[in-house]
Amino acid sequence: MTLLDEIEACIPALRRYARALARDRDRADDLVQDCLERAVAGRSRWRGEGPVRAWLFRILLNRFRDQQRGAKAGLRLVPSEAMVEATRPGDQEDRLALREVHDAIGRLPTDQRAALLLVALEGFTLAEAAAALDIPEGTLTSRLARARQALRRETGRDGGPGDRMEVVR
Amino acid sequence: MSEGIPIHDEDLLRLRHGNAEARARLAALAGDDPTIGRRLADWDRQDAAMRALYGPLGEEPVPARHLDALAAADPVPRRIPPPYARIAAAIALLAIGWAGGWFAALHLGPGATRPELAAEALRAYSTYVVEVAHPVEVPASDEAHLVTWLSKRLGHPITPPDFASYGFHLLGGRVVPDPNGTAALMMYEDDTGRRITLYVAPTANATETAFRFAEGDGAKGFWWVDAGIGCALVGDLPRETLRAIAVAAYDQLIRV
Repeated sequence: MTLLDEIEACIPALRRYARALARDRDRADDLVQDCLERAVAGRSRWRGEGPVRAWLFRILLNRFRDQQRGAKAGLRLVPSEAMVEATRPGDQEDRLALREVHDAIGRLPTDQRAALLLVALEGFTLAEAAAALDIPEGTLTSRLARARQALRRETGRDGGPGDRMEVVR
Repeated sequence: MSEGIPIHDEDLLRLRHGNAEARARLAALAGDDPTIGRRLADWDRQDAAMRALYGPLGEEPVPARHLDALAAADPVPRRIPPPYARIAAAIALLAIGWAGGWFAALHLGPGATRPELAAEALRAYSTYVVEVAHPVEVPASDEAHLVTWLSKRLGHPITPPDFASYGFHLLGGRVVPDPNGTAALMMYEDDTGRRITLYVAPTANATETAFRFAEGDGAKGFWWVDAGIGCALVGDLPRETLRAIAVAAYDQLIRV
C-alpha cells in the first residue's frame, strides 16, 4: 500500500470529522480538499513519524485553525446547517435527542469540539489526539472533561440525585 | 483505587481514552462503583449520539475533486535528504543561532523603535495565512524572480532565509503595504500545514532593537530592527520555537 493509497483510505474519516467540526458542507469539503492537496504536496517532506491518519488530521486541524483566525477577523460568515436530516431514520424522539446533542456540540468552543470529536467520533486515544491537536495530554484531558460536562448539562442529564462523583467509596 | 480518594472526570477520561490496559482497569472500577458506571454510561450515550449523527457522513460518495488531488500527484516522490545531511544542517544552524543571539544581545537598549511594525506583521499574517488559493503572489518555485522582485520593490536586497532545519519550507512571497512604504511578506509551511510568515520592511531612521515579543489575534512573533530593515517573524508556534527561527532569520538577513 503506497502512501497515496493510505491517504485515500483516510478520506471518509476526514470528511466525517470535517463536517462535524465545521458544521457546513462546503466549508468541510474545502477543508478536506486543502488538507489533501497539502498532504500530496508535502508528502516527500513528511518523515513518516506515526500513522498517516494522525498526520492528515493534524494538517486538517492546522487549516481549520487558520480559517478560524480569518473568521475572528470578520472575514467569513459561517451558515449553520441542518445535519440531523442526513442521519439514519429513527423515531421522532430519537431524532429530537440527536438534534439536542448536535446543537449542544455546536455551542461548544471550537477547541473543545475539535478534541471531543477526535476521541468520541474518530476513536483517537488521548496520546494520538494530543499529537494531532499539538497540545499536551493534560490540556486535552481537561478540554474533554469540560466538553462532556457541557453536553451533559445541555442535554438535561446533569444535576439529578446520585450524580455527584466527588468521592469513591 | 483506595477508599475516599476523589476521582475526577479527568481521571476517568484518561482511562477511557487510553490503551487497552487502561480501559480494562476502568471496566473493573465501574464494576465496583455504580456512580462511575453511570458516568460511563452517560459518556457512552454521548459517543453513540455523535456516531449516529456524523457517522453516515463518512459513507457518502467521495467528491471527484478529492480523488483528483491524489491522482494529480507525482507518482515518484522526491527523496528525503539522508539523516546525516539534516543533522549537519541543524548543527550549523545551532552555531549560527548562538552567534546571532549573542550579536542580537549587543543591541539591547532603548531608542525610537517601530512598534507598529509588529502590529502590521501580525495583521498581514492573519490576512494571508488563511488563503487557500493564493497564499503568496510569487511561489517559491520561482525563487529567482521572487528575490529580484522583492528587492526591487523594497529598494533593499532581500533573500528569503532558509528554515529547513526547523521543518519549514518557503511557499513564496508577496508585497504588502507598510506605514513606511512597502514591505515584503514571505510565507513558509511545515509538513503538517503550519504556516509562519517573515515580514520585512525598510526602516531607514529607526533605532536598532533587540528581539521583542508581540502577540495578538491568535498569532505571536518576534520583531527587531537592524541595519535599516525591520523584521517580524510571526506564527502560531511555541514561543521558543519562534525565537529560534527568528534568530536564524536575523542571521541570514544581515549577511545580504
